[in-house]
Amino acid sequence: MKLTVEVWRQESPADAGRWERHEVDDAASHLSLLDLLDLLNDQIAAAGGEPVAYESDCREGACGACGVTVNGVPHGPVPRTPSCRQHLRSFDGATRLRIEPLRSAAFPVVRDLVIDRSALDALVTAGGHVAINSGTASDAEALPIGHDDAETALDFAACIGCGACVAACPNGAAHLFAGAKLAHLAMLPQPALERGRRARAIVDELEQRFGPCSTYGECAEVCPAGISLAAVAAVHREGIRAWWRGRDD
Amino acid sequence: MTSTTLRSATTSRARVSTFTLKLAMAVTGWLFALFAAVHMYGNLKAWFGADAYNGYAHWLHNALYPLLPRDGLLWIMRIVLAVALVVHVVASLVLYLRGRRARGRFRRRGHNRWAAATMPWTGLLLLAFLTFHILDLTLGIAGAAEYRAATADESFAYQNTVASMGRPLAGAAYLLAMLVLLVHLVHGLWSSATEFGLTGRRTRKAWKVIAYVLAIGITVGNLTLPIGVWTGLL
Repeated sequence: MKLTVEVWRQESPADAGRWERHEVDDAASHLSLLDLLDLLNDQIAAAGGEPVAYESDCREGACGACGVTVNGVPHGPVPRTPSCRQHLRSFDGATRLRIEPLRSAAFPVVRDLVIDRSALDALVTAGGHVAINSGTASDAEALPIGHDDAETALDFAACIGCGACVAACPNGAAHLFAGAKLAHLAMLPQPALERGRRARAIVDELEQRFGPCSTYGECAEVCPAGISLAAVAAVHREGIRAWWRGRDD
Repeated sequence: MTSTTLRSATTSRARVSTFTLKLAMAVTGWLFALFAAVHMYGNLKAWFGADAYNGYAHWLHNALYPLLPRDGLLWIMRIVLAVALVVHVVASLVLYLRGRRARGRFRRRGHNRWAAATMPWTGLLLLAFLTFHILDLTLGIAGAAEYRAATADESFAYQNTVASMGRPLAGAAYLLAMLVLLVHLVHGLWSSATEFGLTGRRTRKAWKVIAYVLAIGITVGNLTLPIGVWTGLL
């Protein structure tokens, strides 16, 4: 299969960046997007050029490192699937791919397709963690958690931190990411001890770095972890609750 | 972590929070929706004849008299709605600009969420329509030639409405405005689930149904008026 690949090239965060056009002649349909980038880089390197920088690690959808935007859609045309698990065979015979970094003002481009996702780390630092001194390890099942609660909490905890939700949002909001953290931790007994404090910290951090949520719903469409759109509402649920109670828990 | 540079790149601190603005938009939006629902209910009285419609209009002018002065209830509603309108429009503008800034240089394209994407524009169209609607049927400035203001003893709301919607351009404006309202209400009411923090699966489903039923109910109820006038039933 012959493919026209337009790829984003950017030397550094300060560089304005530009599109670069390549023809890839032998792009087999079983190639993943990352395989395609490897093939393209072999071709570029053979011609004496500088390979396209992109991030990847596990290539099985667990690490969240590899997100790129394909034809305007974060991760690519297959819904709720990370870039590494998107294969050319699912692209409906597209012969032209525009590959660019995940776009958002909060994610500066480091180089080519590599972005700086520190803004998401800042949310986790602010409150997406448990900072309770729980003493020595308690007996298992000393704090029983119902099966449904455990499953729901785990569903919200499935986030791999890829940042596609932010890149999918026309407003550059990170409500799906932040809401998933809040919803997950609010349901479990020990993290819930700092539920109010966490909500205030995350909502505040969210304000500083990301945009407002207009419930487009695009974030959930691209989320490789299948986080439910309900997560965006957890931001306000937890925020309103913390404001109403005015307490740390 | 380059936290300080990232922070200054997006927003500054001295401001009304996005959280508060979104909540304010949801509350004021619901206020408009509930008002529109009551307004639509009043409009349906046209189907029970001119006397029913004019009687209702007359009652609105005199409601709760003598506890309130004449037009007292109307003025309370006008002031509350006007304040809500200012809050809703100013908040939307600030949020629109914050969203654009947080998104940055490369806009998101290629999604088909047109109802969400067009909220600022359907909102502006509704604002324009609201201005016309008040000039038309409250003040009579843009009303039909035969417009008659209410007196202390009677109201001519029915005749004014029928005369206004009988004008092709005005009638078309009412029809178009209701379709725009439908789009704005469906997305706005559904979206308020986010601002009110409704995360439960069943709650969200129910909320969506409420949003659609209310939006479609208001729109269809109101649309029966221009259609009734054009078909000669009113």
